Amino acid sequence: MSDTTTETPNVTVSPAEFSFVKYEADEIATIVAELAAMLGMSNPIHVIVDETTPLAKLSEELDGSSSGATVTLHAESGALEDRKHPMSFSPENARESLGRILLRSRDRLRPDFADAPCDLDLTLAENAAWDTYCVGRLARLGVTTNQQRWRYNHRNRFGFGDRVDTAFDALWGADELSWPEVVATASA
Amino acid sequence: MRQFFPVEDLARDERFVQTNMAERMKDGRTALELKESSAKSRGASKRLTPDRHDASDAARGLMHGIMVGEIQALEGAGRTAHDFATGDGTSDTVPFELKLDMARQAWDEARHVEISAKLSDWMGTELGEFAENTVLFEAACSNDPILRLAGVNRALEGLAIDVFTQMKEFGDIAGDPYLEFCEDWMLADEVTHVKMGSDWLRKVTANDPDRRSKALEFQQVVDKLFSFGGARGESEESSFSLATRFRELAGFTDDEVKTISEMDAEALAERRAQVLAYREKVGADAPA
Repeated sequence: MSDTTTETPNVTVSPAEFSFVKYEADEIATIVAELAAMLGMSNPIHVIVDETTPLAKLSEELDGSSSGATVTLHAESGALEDRKHPMSFSPENARESLGRILLRSRDRLRPDFADAPCDLDLTLAENAAWDTYCVGRLARLGVTTNQQRWRYNHRNRFGFGDRVDTAFDALWGADELSWPEVVATASA
Repeated sequence: MRQFFPVEDLARDERFVQTNMAERMKDGRTALELKESSAKSRGASKRLTPDRHDASDAARGLMHGIMVGEIQALEGAGRTAHDFATGDGTSDTVPFELKLDMARQAWDEARHVEISAKLSDWMGTELGEFAENTVLFEAACSNDPILRLAGVNRALEGLAIDVFTQMKEFGDIAGDPYLEFCEDWMLADEVTHVKMGSDWLRKVTANDPDRRSKALEFQQVVDKLFSFGGARGESEESSFSLATRFRELAGFTDDEVKTISEMDAEALAERRAQVLAYREKVGADAPA
C-alpha cells in the first residue's frame, strides 16, 4: 500500500496505488475535479481513501474559509464501491458520495455555515439533514441518485410519518439555505 | 422436469450478479477491530441497530441479502419437493407428507420474496443492487434429502430466524412500521420451517443413527459457513446474534444452540486471522 499521492490539477488522491480494492487514483481525481468544476470550486482538494474497510463513512474538513483553503475529503472504500462487484470501483457511486461531501465543503465556505459542527461532531440527525440537502442539489445538477434511499435514511433519523416526509421534500428541493435553516427545516 | 439443479444454472435476469463464499472471503478489507486497544477507543458496536452511523445502508444491504436468500430458499424447497421419489424415507426417497411440507415452504418463500422485494423498494434499494451470494442454495444441493433438510431447514432457515429477529428489532427501534411488521410475520414462518426440518430429520432417521449423525455434521459445516466470518455471533463485533428463544421454539436443543454459538466465535477468530495475514502480505498496518 502506497502513501504517495496522485495528482490532477488541484486534486490529489491517497493512496496512489490500491492494494485491497481495484480502484485507480487517477480516476478518482478526475471525478473529483469534474465535481469541483461543476460546483464552481477552485480550492485545492485532497482525497484520502481508507481502503482497509468496506464501510462507507465520509467526512470532509477545510483548513480555512477562503477559496484558497484546502479541502480534505475522507472516504471509506465502500462509499466508492460497485455493490454488484465488491472491491470494484463505481464511478456513479463515487460521484454521489464525493459530490455530497464536496457540497458540504462548499457550504462551509459560506459565513452562515460557521456554526455547523465539524463532520465528526455532527449528530446522526444533523448528518442526515445535511445529506438530504446536499443530495437533492446534486440530483438537480444531474448526478445519479436514488431519492428513496435518502428518504429512508432521513426517516430513520427523524421518524416515519407525513410531517417528516414534508420536511424531507423541503430540504431536498432547497438551495441557498444557511446552517440554522437546514436544522430548522429538518425539525419543522 | 430436470432434477438436481446446479447452482451455476439458477435462473436470474441481467439485474443480478452472483458471487460465492470463496470470492467474498478474498476481500481483505474488514470492519472488525484488529487491535484490542482500538476496539475500546472506537467504542462502537457493530450490531445492526439504528444508532450505527451507516444504519440505513447496512439495513438496505442486509434486506437485499434476505431477498436473494428467500429466492434461494424457494428454489431449495422446490427442488427438494421435486428431486426425490416418494417412498418411506429410506435410500433416496422421501415420504409424501415431507414433499407436502416442502411445497408449503416453497409457497411461503415465494410470499417472502414478494414481501422482501417490496421492503427493498421501501428502503430505496434496487433489485440486484448488491451482489447475490449463492452460498444458501449451495446448501440445498446434496443428493441426500436428509442432508438438505439439515442444510436448508435447520441451518439456512435457522440463520433466517437470527436475521429476521435483528431486522424486526431494527424496525421497532427506528419506528419503521412496515419493516417491523413484515419481519415479524416472516419470522413466524421461518420458525415453522425450521421445526419441519427438525421433525422430519428425527422421524426419517429414527432407525438410522449413522445417517442422522452425518446430517447433523453437515449442518454444522453449513452453520459455520452461515456465520459469514463472524457476522453472526454474540460478540459486539457481529452484526446480529443467535435468536436463542426462537431457535428453541423451532426445535433446537440448548446444546445445539451452544455449539452454533461456539462455531460463530471460531468463524470470527478465523476471519480476523485471515485479514491480518492478508494485511501482512500487502504490507498494510491495521488501522490505529
